[in-house]
Amino acid sequence: MAKTYHRPTLLDHVRTRYFATRLDTAMSVLFGAITLWILWSLLNWAVLDAVFSAADKELCGHDAGACWSVIDARWRLILFGLYPFEEQWRSAIACAAIVLVTALSCVPWFWNARRLPVLWLTGFAVFYVLMAGGYFGLKEIPPQSWGGLSLTIFVFAAVAIIGMPLSIVFALLRRSELPWIARTMGLVIDTIRSLPLLSIMFTFAIVLPFVLPGWLIGDKLYRVIVGYALFFACYQAEIIRGGIQALPAGQEEAAKALGMSYWHRISYIVLPQAFRNALPPTINQFVITFKETSLVVIIGFFDVMASGNAAFGTAEWSFAHIEVYSFVALIFFVFVFALSRYGAYLERRLAVASR
Amino acid sequence: MPATDTAVRIADMDKYYGSFHALKNINLDIRKGEKIVVCGPSGSGKSTLIRCINKLEDYHAGSINVLGTELDDNLDHIDEIRRETGMVFQHFNLFPHMTILENCTLAPILVRKQKREEAEAVAMEYLHKVKIPEQADKFPGQLSGGQQQRVAIARALCMKPEIMLFDEPTSALDPEMISEVLDVMVSLAEDGMTMVCVTHEMGFARQVADRVIFMADGEIVEQGTPEQFFDNPQNERTRTFLSQVLGH
Ligand SMILES: Nc1ncnc2c1ncn2[C@@H]1O[C@H](COP(=O)(O)OP(=O)(O)OP(=O)(O)O)[C@@H](O)[C@H]1O
Ligand SMILES: [Mg+2]
Repeated sequence: MAKTYHRPTLLDHVRTRYFATRLDTAMSVLFGAITLWILWSLLNWAVLDAVFSAADKELCGHDAGACWSVIDARWRLILFGLYPFEEQWRSAIACAAIVLVTALSCVPWFWNARRLPVLWLTGFAVFYVLMAGGYFGLKEIPPQSWGGLSLTIFVFAAVAIIGMPLSIVFALLRRSELPWIARTMGLVIDTIRSLPLLSIMFTFAIVLPFVLPGWLIGDKLYRVIVGYALFFACYQAEIIRGGIQALPAGQEEAAKALGMSYWHRISYIVLPQAFRNALPPTINQFVITFKETSLVVIIGFFDVMASGNAAFGTAEWSFAHIEVYSFVALIFFVFVFALSRYGAYLERRLAVASR
Repeated sequence: MPATDTAVRIADMDKYYGSFHALKNINLDIRKGEKIVVCGPSGSGKSTLIRCINKLEDYHAGSINVLGTELDDNLDHIDEIRRETGMVFQHFNLFPHMTILENCTLAPILVRKQKREEAEAVAMEYLHKVKIPEQADKFPGQLSGGQQQRVAIARALCMKPEIMLFDEPTSALDPEMISEVLDVMVSLAEDGMTMVCVTHEMGFARQVADRVIFMADGEIVEQGTPEQFFDNPQNERTRTFLSQVLGH
């Protein structure tokens, strides 16, 4: 009798994967039940038994559900920190501008050494003018009063904008044909990478003002950002250098043989390919950088984490820390998840282009 | 000053890799329009020699003059010479992140300052010449080895060089693709291009070369017309080498 091939159905798949032996069946049933139970409890807590509006605060605690009233009542504090209440629309638009710029960077039309920097600098300028004010009749608001999510986004975007070009310069210097330049750069990079980020932030925020001339000191926030950007650049420089080293030597030779100058070779042949090679670790670096912005709390800034703490800091809401932390975690998750999905998309796209 | 019909003049040239003496007292004049085939056993310095002509490798003594320009440490001289010499590599070295057309137009636009339309027209002309105009919008990774090498030749030609250097252009190719690349090189020779080819394709050498140069241990051991070289080799090492590559 001739055997005919059946395409396995979903049912076949489930049977062979999860119910092949008696032990498999027992395990599948047990862990399936536990998973269902956890999901059900979560759903109960977060949605079914939860209280959502601030007005219903009295209902909190009667059922075992979450008390989202605290978010309803305090979301402005979490998102905008101590930014003056009646000016918070500016903070909201500013954040939206950065999110928009991030979204636009996903459009291939912008992927070019001129358009991408222009896009980011424009977005950042809009963000800054809105946040700081002092122009166009906007009330001036110093960085000390910035806070919440908008501060986190500000620190992240500023670090990326300063750190990225810096990292390219570092990587190129470290590959310099002059040994003393290459070695000095290597020493600087390795030194900074061996220091904890926290100590670098402290140094820039607290120690530097004693050493720098007055006109160079600037606001504490900017010093922290510069320190963070330096730290970012050292890690990112090594990532880019790895991407460059993965290129076959023939690429630069072919460009040389065509008469292309150093800068043309770097900007048209070496860096575009190095970035492709280095894309996964670069996205990873951005994710880490976004999460670690929370460290600015320690220097006395009021990022989204700190304003979350403040949100349940009053006696009235002190019971609701789980809800607040869940909310803050959700914010981080949305950003980080979007970033890593975008990275995966880029990788797929570039793989098609170079196949 | 070399005569005006001299394309390349190499005089008393030495090259070291560290303490290893890779090229020993090389003297070589190449006339404009001349086709030279360089052969010799592996490690004899053939690649090193032609890579010195466009300064992909430094040399340490003697002099090299290309089209009247002295090849020294002056960056302008190096740029000038690289603009006028095209090179084709064993492993093609196409830019994988650019389409075939972009591979061909990049250097003319950046280095020769051509307009994009003009550069594209020239590129299509040369892609026709190497018989793959229909591949212009593909990426190198989508082409066969033979096609990639033909693109590499077209890319070099788009710079309108006076001299073409080939470093074993067919030795990374599957046998059935070798002839399509050699055909392009033959037609280039017929157009009067000055060519220096490192190759073990002895049929090509017989058909096209004006002069065959045999190298061993960093020295030019013997040179002559293909007839002299193949039918009446003088040096013992040449005879040994020929019996190996020709298989008798
Ligand atoms: N970058 C380098 N550093 C040190 N030694 C090198 C380097 N490149 C080549 N050599 C040495 O110089 C000698 C000549 O090398 P070259 O590549 O010119 O030989 P070739 O004649 O082209 O050989 P093949 O037929 O294998 O390509 C070899 O002994 C090689 O080991
Ligand atoms: Mg070689």
